[in-house]
Amino acid sequence: MENRDPSPDIGSARFSFRFNRRLVLASGVAMVAGLVAAQPWPVRSAVASDDKFMALSRLLIPHRLDPEIGRRIAAELKADQAPVSDHIDALLKLAHDRHATVVEDFFPFASDEAKATALRIISAWYLGVVDDAPGAKIVAYELALMFKPTSDVMTIPTYSISRPNGWGAAAPSLSAMPTF
Amino acid sequence: MAQIESADVVVVGTGVVGCLIAEQLLDAGHSVLMLEAGPRVERWQIVEKYRNLPPITTTNLDAAYPPTRWAPFLDSTSPLTAVDYLQLEGPNARAYRQDYVRYAGGSTWHWAGICWRLTPEDMRLKSLYGVGRDWAFDYATLEPYYTRVEEALGVCGPSDPGLQWPPIRSKPYPMGRLPFGPGEQKFTDAAARLGLKNLPAAQARNSGVAYDGRPPCCGNNSCIPICPIGAKYDAASSLPRIEAKGGKILVNAVVYRVETGAANQVQAVHYFDPDKQSHRVTGKLFVIACNGIETPKLLLMSADTRNPRGVANSSDQVGRNMMDQPKLVAEATLAEPAWTGVGPVQGSSIMQTSQGDFRAEHAGALFRFNNMARSRLGAIQALKTGLVGKALDAEIRRLSACTAELTIEHELLPDPNNRLTLSDKKDALGIPKPNIYYDVGAYVRKSAEIYSTPLVKQLAHEMGATDVRVTTEFTNSDHIMGGLIMGANPADSVVDVDCRAHDHPNLFLPGGGAMTTAGCGNSTLTMAALALKAADAMTAQLTHA
Repeated sequence: MENRDPSPDIGSARFSFRFNRRLVLASGVAMVAGLVAAQPWPVRSAVASDDKFMALSRLLIPHRLDPEIGRRIAAELKADQAPVSDHIDALLKLAHDRHATVVEDFFPFASDEAKATALRIISAWYLGVVDDAPGAKIVAYELALMFKPTSDVMTIPTYSISRPNGWGAAAPSLSAMPTF
Repeated sequence: MAQIESADVVVVGTGVVGCLIAEQLLDAGHSVLMLEAGPRVERWQIVEKYRNLPPITTTNLDAAYPPTRWAPFLDSTSPLTAVDYLQLEGPNARAYRQDYVRYAGGSTWHWAGICWRLTPEDMRLKSLYGVGRDWAFDYATLEPYYTRVEEALGVCGPSDPGLQWPPIRSKPYPMGRLPFGPGEQKFTDAAARLGLKNLPAAQARNSGVAYDGRPPCCGNNSCIPICPIGAKYDAASSLPRIEAKGGKILVNAVVYRVETGAANQVQAVHYFDPDKQSHRVTGKLFVIACNGIETPKLLLMSADTRNPRGVANSSDQVGRNMMDQPKLVAEATLAEPAWTGVGPVQGSSIMQTSQGDFRAEHAGALFRFNNMARSRLGAIQALKTGLVGKALDAEIRRLSACTAELTIEHELLPDPNNRLTLSDKKDALGIPKPNIYYDVGAYVRKSAEIYSTPLVKQLAHEMGATDVRVTTEFTNSDHIMGGLIMGANPADSVVDVDCRAHDHPNLFLPGGGAMTTAGCGNSTLTMAALALKAADAMTAQLTHA
């Protein structure tokens, strides 16, 4: 498949993204530490709950996350209200206690209830909807993470990653996971 | 009741058939008025609607087209809405859940764009195989109209006769074929190893070049439900052109009665606006082209003292012989990636399996690889497993790439028992809903049992499938045919060779309803060819008048 990628400079963008992601993760962990140290649980202010939601999202999902989409998911999830807020607090505390930097470090040790909330959050980032049912409100389409693991090959329907008759039959391997 | 409009030609329906006829009659200097039951929307509105659908709904191909209160159609967004409008019964009721759109432009918005022709044999089932019916004319009669439609819609296709279907053509395709993505190539290679040829489809999609003011296809992979750039033919390009030529298009005008006069000429149609105010429209010639379900429904609703069984129905064949291509689907898990979502959602089919002497015993079938991107389906499935992190991403990629859907579409014979009647249930305007009895019959069932299902399993295994599941419940292909069947004999058919009603010399009923047999391929090109043949007859009729 020739010229599948319309942006020749995207390689350098990906490099800087990886760099940024480490920064973001590091700052997320630092922020969690700060929240845990400075404030009694649970924190109810909207700003603080958004920050916590994003901090947890970054720990649950090893990819670049758009804060605006995060705000939409948090609002749909009612992330500032119990029981979701309690689960978020518990997951952040667990991540902190286990010095977690990625989801694999702490997710297996969460309670079943907290795990269910974590999976809802992950699902929302991937599917672009909090509860995938007819009539549900969409929080993301082209930025929904579900399209990313195949973005080197598959078109996001209604978008284009090719040019007139520019696609072909080359089939990339499964192991060549795109960076996102 | 107000009479507000009149025209030489009144066209009910604004899909491909109505638009082709309207434009040709306007070009010949006649006034044209088009009536559309539904609303007029812009392309961007449909695109936005589609992008705002939850992923689980995106497999419902009509979900981006919510019906209006006054022009209902099948709405598959939930199990409850799916059974609200079409009243279906019989052994294969589920297989007649036909998707169509009652909007200006009709189903051209969300058709796949595939433009197969019938073969000469498809038109002579009775004389060659002793089943079904023969058409009232042969392939050679239809061929020039196929060519004209291909030019009118902008159909691309292979220049190599060895890849054409059928390779009996008076002119080349206006554009060359579109390329295959990896999945269709893999399917093609697997078919070749079994001695079968997967052909690049003729499709009304601009290939490599702009055509008729529309841009070339860029592989946006959303042909169904909407081409976001208009590279696929849809009536959105025809409607402004019709208006520029002086045609008038009235939307939200639900025609509910065809009025006949003393000599059994049609003299008017009546429509409701959304507030159920009635209006009367007169003309010289009338075209009812609001698809193979809505047209028979309207004729049956229009029964009067001269036509007690319904307009155009002295033969009692209106609403009978309802056809489609009953579909089965093979879901395959593959050892290696096939990949979908590269190029248009459909781009090829094995067609030779639709032909053969076996048609005396059972149906032929078409086989194709579904190229709709499976990323959403892969993600939905992977998320259900509870995986997280890198394992989740890997599973999404695997499920998206290493699963495939192979579709079988069978040829159905015209059977008068497969019948549309008027339901006792009414829509919001008090208009009867269509009731359809549907049985795919022994001819199709035998094909599924001994021919198509075994063959699709072979194809899947040849693609490297580790698991294949073939559905056993037939589903709809949305190719609505037969309910206004064409024939030479007014006693057993509804329309003549020009889609003119046997009973009414100024009433034309072109489109899928007029098709005498269905074949295995998508019906649009034949519907449109019949439209142009009818348009020629209408032009001649108006000239002589």
